[in-house]
Amino acid sequence: MDTLFITRENLAALTADLLASGTHVAAPTRASDAQTEYRYVTDFAQVRLDGSMPRRSLKELFLPPTEPLLRWRQHQGDVELQEVPTSFPPTVVLGARPCDAAAVDVLDRVMGWDYRDELWFGRRAATTVISLACPGVDDLCFCSAVGGSPESTRGADLLLTPVTDGYHVTVVTDKGRSLLSAHPSRFGALPASGPLPAGPRIPAPGPLPLGQIRTWLESNFDHPLWHEVALRCHGCGACASVCPTCHCFDIVDEPEGVDRGTRRRNWDTCQTSVFTLHASGHNPRHDQGARFRQRLMHKFSIYPDKFGEVLCTGCGRCARACPAGQDIVELLGRIGALAAGNGHEKVEA
Amino acid sequence: MKELQVLARKLLAEGSVGVVIGYEEGPHGVRPAFITRSEDAGRLVFDPRCVHNLATYLSPRRSVVKGLGKPAVVVKGCDARAVAGLLRESQLTRDDVVLIAVRCGGVMQHPAQHVDLRAETVADRCAGCDVREPHLFDFMVGEAPTAPPATDRREARIRELEAGSPADRWAFWQQELARCVRCHACRQACPMCFCERCVADKTQPGWIESSPHPRGNLAFHLTRAIHQAGRCVDCGECERACPAGIPLGLLNRKLALVVAERFGHHASDDPSVPAPIGSYASNDGQEFIL
Repeated sequence: MDTLFITRENLAALTADLLASGTHVAAPTRASDAQTEYRYVTDFAQVRLDGSMPRRSLKELFLPPTEPLLRWRQHQGDVELQEVPTSFPPTVVLGARPCDAAAVDVLDRVMGWDYRDELWFGRRAATTVISLACPGVDDLCFCSAVGGSPESTRGADLLLTPVTDGYHVTVVTDKGRSLLSAHPSRFGALPASGPLPAGPRIPAPGPLPLGQIRTWLESNFDHPLWHEVALRCHGCGACASVCPTCHCFDIVDEPEGVDRGTRRRNWDTCQTSVFTLHASGHNPRHDQGARFRQRLMHKFSIYPDKFGEVLCTGCGRCARACPAGQDIVELLGRIGALAAGNGHEKVEA
Repeated sequence: MKELQVLARKLLAEGSVGVVIGYEEGPHGVRPAFITRSEDAGRLVFDPRCVHNLATYLSPRRSVVKGLGKPAVVVKGCDARAVAGLLRESQLTRDDVVLIAVRCGGVMQHPAQHVDLRAETVADRCAGCDVREPHLFDFMVGEAPTAPPATDRREARIRELEAGSPADRWAFWQQELARCVRCHACRQACPMCFCERCVADKTQPGWIESSPHPRGNLAFHLTRAIHQAGRCVDCGECERACPAGIPLGLLNRKLALVVAERFGHHASDDPSVPAPIGSYASNDGQEFIL
């Protein structure tokens, strides 16, 4: 992988060039409540590259919280369908967190599995992801425990690493190289200045025993642990809405008049009772224990079974967002201890 | 704290309750705890980080909690208002629950914050709260605290919004509600959102569109705000649960102020005070009837 250099001024100029050429630029920005969010920007001044964590993940740029799938209109006996475009304007993400960029790559597996999701891959094809090496956010980060790292290039086309007066630019993919080639004056050779002295780094938790956890999950469907952890869970789905890898959606038809309407795809979550509620009234996931278990199983058993890796990149957002103090690392640690047959692990039935 | 632990141990040991719902130290701040064995009562803590409204767990839809048997629940003054709400609306009978009231001098905004109660850090709802000791209780524990630090933050924000034009307020709420992804965390964390099937989840007919577009978000949040008018206990859990940072407390507080002005009703921890929606007085304002 090649490494080049870009000054902060040139990064601003590159952003201006991109915007002027009609490329959409999305980046961490400051929301009205001072939190950080990924948003489309119109000026480099809006870009926030200070290491603050966007409250929602990058997935919303590829799988929006709501999007039209088609529109319909009835003419007497006929129905006219109007499809939505599946090609998108060129877009650059500037300052993606490595855990978020990796998550998009993880999701490519399921989005291209039995059906190739045209909207997802349409946006993926149009988008160049520039990640920013991460100083760590807080002690809820755990990317290194699930196979990632703060400097991971997974899912990125270019990786920026902050150094004095600018950024090292690591070229990861051909798409990243094309961006460089299109704007050669903005990039230079590596200067003599070394990387910034490492700031206080978040101590990363060690690797989790993901194989043992998976085996335990597959053979402990009725374990009392699920009841215990479900007690404090509100089933609110805040975890899923901030998660970079939760990708379930609902499809609804919304009438917009007597003869027309829109079919939309909206984010959904397995944490609600209506997610699995049958028309008959029967609910196969009849309580919060079953629903909580499902989320863990999907991430650490079902997804590894189908696609060979866990559906989690360790961003820690779920634990930050949970109003009831659930902590996925604590829970995985408990499951790891149960799997190892540690008799001290206590579960209240 | 010791007093709370001793009481919980006694209640569990004598079998008068199946679970004590209180607070414990979690990996990142305090969090709700469900103590079912008397030997675990030592896990219980109470301090100004205990922001959660545990009355939420008394809702009849909490089937997993119900399975533990009769609960004793730790309540602050604001939480006792939610218990009173559940009693008032026949979701609970008084004999179904043991209330352990804790004397409270205000809580922080977040359960993982370092305890440092100041005007800047105290939860919005604690401003002006004069309930050091809940009136609805079976047991009362804790030291008598001082009053919470005074702050006018939220009321000042409401006055500021009221001073704007309807167009300004519309623009403000459009901007705030645009962040909603309809996860419904606000509803799920709310002690007074106890419906078995929320109108927002109904599909035949689908009164409220589930899509998080401006139309769906406005319909959901206005419906919830109106359903909470005169019922909201101002515990702040909806706003705290919101992963999008929407200031739902402003909406609910404004409606509470309107209900207070129109009907003289204030959220109360006295379950015998009738809800404004369920009572009629001959001097109720009716100038809106043409």
